[in-house]
Order: sequence, then C-alpha cells, then structure tokens
Amino acid sequence: MSAKSKQVTSVAYSESAIRNNLSIVEYCRTSMAALSGCTAGILGLTSLYGALFFVCATITVWLMFLYKAGFSNWNKYFISRKSLLTSGFYGQLFTYILCWTFIYGMVHVY
Amino acid sequence: MATDLIVDTQIRFWVFLPIVVITFLVGIIRHYVSILLSSQKKVETQQFEDSQIILRARLLRENGKYIPKTAFLTRRHAFNKEEDGYLTQKRPAASQSMMTDPSMMTDMVKDNLTNVLPMVIVGGWINWMFSGFITTKVPFPLTLRFKSMLQRGIELSHLDASWVSSASWYFLNVFGLKSIYSLVLGENNVFNILAADQLEQMHEQMSGAAMAMPQDPKVAFKAEWEALEIIDHHWSLDGIEMKLLGEEEKTLSD
Repeated sequence: MSAKSKQVTSVAYSESAIRNNLSIVEYCRTSMAALSGCTAGILGLTSLYGALFFVCATITVWLMFLYKAGFSNWNKYFISRKSLLTSGFYGQLFTYILCWTFIYGMVHVY
Repeated sequence: MATDLIVDTQIRFWVFLPIVVITFLVGIIRHYVSILLSSQKKVETQQFEDSQIILRARLLRENGKYIPKTAFLTRRHAFNKEEDGYLTQKRPAASQSMMTDPSMMTDMVKDNLTNVLPMVIVGGWINWMFSGFITTKVPFPLTLRFKSMLQRGIELSHLDASWVSSASWYFLNVFGLKSIYSLVLGENNVFNILAADQLEQMHEQMSGAAMAMPQDPKVAFKAEWEALEIIDHHWSLDGIEMKLLGEEEKTLSD
C-alpha cells in the first residue's frame, strides 16, 4: 500500500480535516508548553537547562504525534512532518517561559 | 536559590499572585463582554456575492486539476473573460466610506471598548496599586538591554537584569496568557480572532463564506484574476480509469 502511494505524486487532502488535525495538534502543543513550563519551574531549572528541557519536551510531543499517527503513514493525516514540529514555535516558547517564570517565582525565589 | 536578594514572602501572596489572577480573569471577562456586545454584522447582498465569487475562483484555482481541461477552461473563461466575466465586471465606484457608515462607527467603538479600554484601565490600576515591587526573577540570565523592559517602575542601576518589576510582570502576563486562553475558552475566542485578522488569508479560509469583503472588491478581484490567469492546468487524474480497473481486477482475483 505504501509503495502504491509513493507512485502517486500528488495526494489529495481534505482541507477541513487537515485543519481540524492541525487545531488539535495546536491544542496539544499549547498544553505541552504550559505543563512543561510548570514542570521546569517546580524542578527549579535555570538558564540553559530550562531551554534544553523545552526542546526535549517539544521533540517528545512531536514523536508522540508521529507514534499516534503511525510512523509509516503519518502523511495520511498531516501534509508536512516538519511543520508539525516547528509551527507556532514562538507562541509556545512564550507560554513556556511564562509558566516557567511563574512557577519558578512561586517556588524558588521567595 | 536567590542568594543575592531576599524578597519578602508577603509579596508573593499580595502582589505576584494577584497580578496573574487579575490578568487572567480580566481576559475572561473581556471574552464574554465582547460576546455580549458583538452584533451580527449585516452583510449586504453585493458584498456577499463578491466574497462568494472570490471563494469560487480560489476553489477553481486549487482544485482545477481534478476536472478535465475543457471544464477548467470554461470555468476560467466565465471568471476572466474580457468584458463581463465575474472578475472583470465593471462596477460603479463604491462611495460609501468608513466614517459615514454609522454601524461601522459603533463597531469600532465596541472594538475599542473591549480591547483598548481594559488594557488602559487595568494596566493603570495595576501600575498604581502594585507599583514599585520587585516581584520575581526570570530563571535565566539576561543582558542589560532587557532592564528597561523587565524593570519598568524601578530605577536601580545595580539590580541584576533578571529581576522583574510588578508592572512588567503584568505586561508579560498580558502577552503570555493568549495561548492559555485558547485552551480555556476554546478556539474562537476574541484573542484568536484578533490574531487571525492579521493573517487575513487564514481568516478567509476559516470563515470564508460568512466574511464580508472589504469595501472595495476591485483589488481582490484583480489579484484573483491575475492568479487565475497565470495558473496552468495539470490534469492529475491521468489514467484514473485504468488504475480503478486495475485495483478492481486485483480485488476480484483475490
């Protein structure tokens, strides 16, 4: 089946289904950013460790998406695997930093 | 952790936490107030027609590869022909300007009421009520250039740049909570709509049918006309019958 779909050069996607998928992914990623920010704050990670933690969390969620969609046939659900990793990166980074700062301030500063 | 400066614990409960809570709740109130105030936009027939024409032209542009070439050319001709195609038709110039239309004015006032006014009032109130506190420390080092951004209201030249003043903490919250709102309030909250207004293309795709066209459709028509004119028809269902039959044969023989 996969060899068959390789031969077909263009795959027709349903626009609304793709959009629905992406909005769900966006939802998951925002949750991920908030939760991992809180985790980093509670753990008391500072500077580069926090950044590394964010990158790890992002990649983990990406791998989880791919696992959920199936590693071999993810392109049934998403057009691009890379944009699944990178889209809305800065928004998530901002959410992460806010949660991180907030919880870090609550737990460790005072 | 913070060895260089000890901050009073009271600040956490009476300044740091209230700012987060106030910002969050004000955002939620803004969302519901904007729902209360929002009026169903009256779309005129002409505008609606225009937006539908644009939508159809875009559909043809994107999915033209699935219809035969003659069908594609016929449709394109209907849109783009010289005298009175849909996209090339002559229109009397729209004389309606933004300021003379009273409904437009009230919309703008409501927009300001829900967006700008709370920012100013709550921001001013927080500045006045919680001014001059050092609230928190960002857990990463920052350069001196961030001092003016993060330490608004505190003029201490020797303070490390990673300490955050109360006023700046409020602004950080205002900008950072946007994506949290989309978690709490769902996709179509007022903040997302504002953001989507900037990405006009996204907006058109999301609510394309209901969206009113901008006042002058000529510009949009021209752009669509150009895009449709330069597009090349690639028939992407080449040999689809054979493929279909081939599949069928295989399943029959199985």
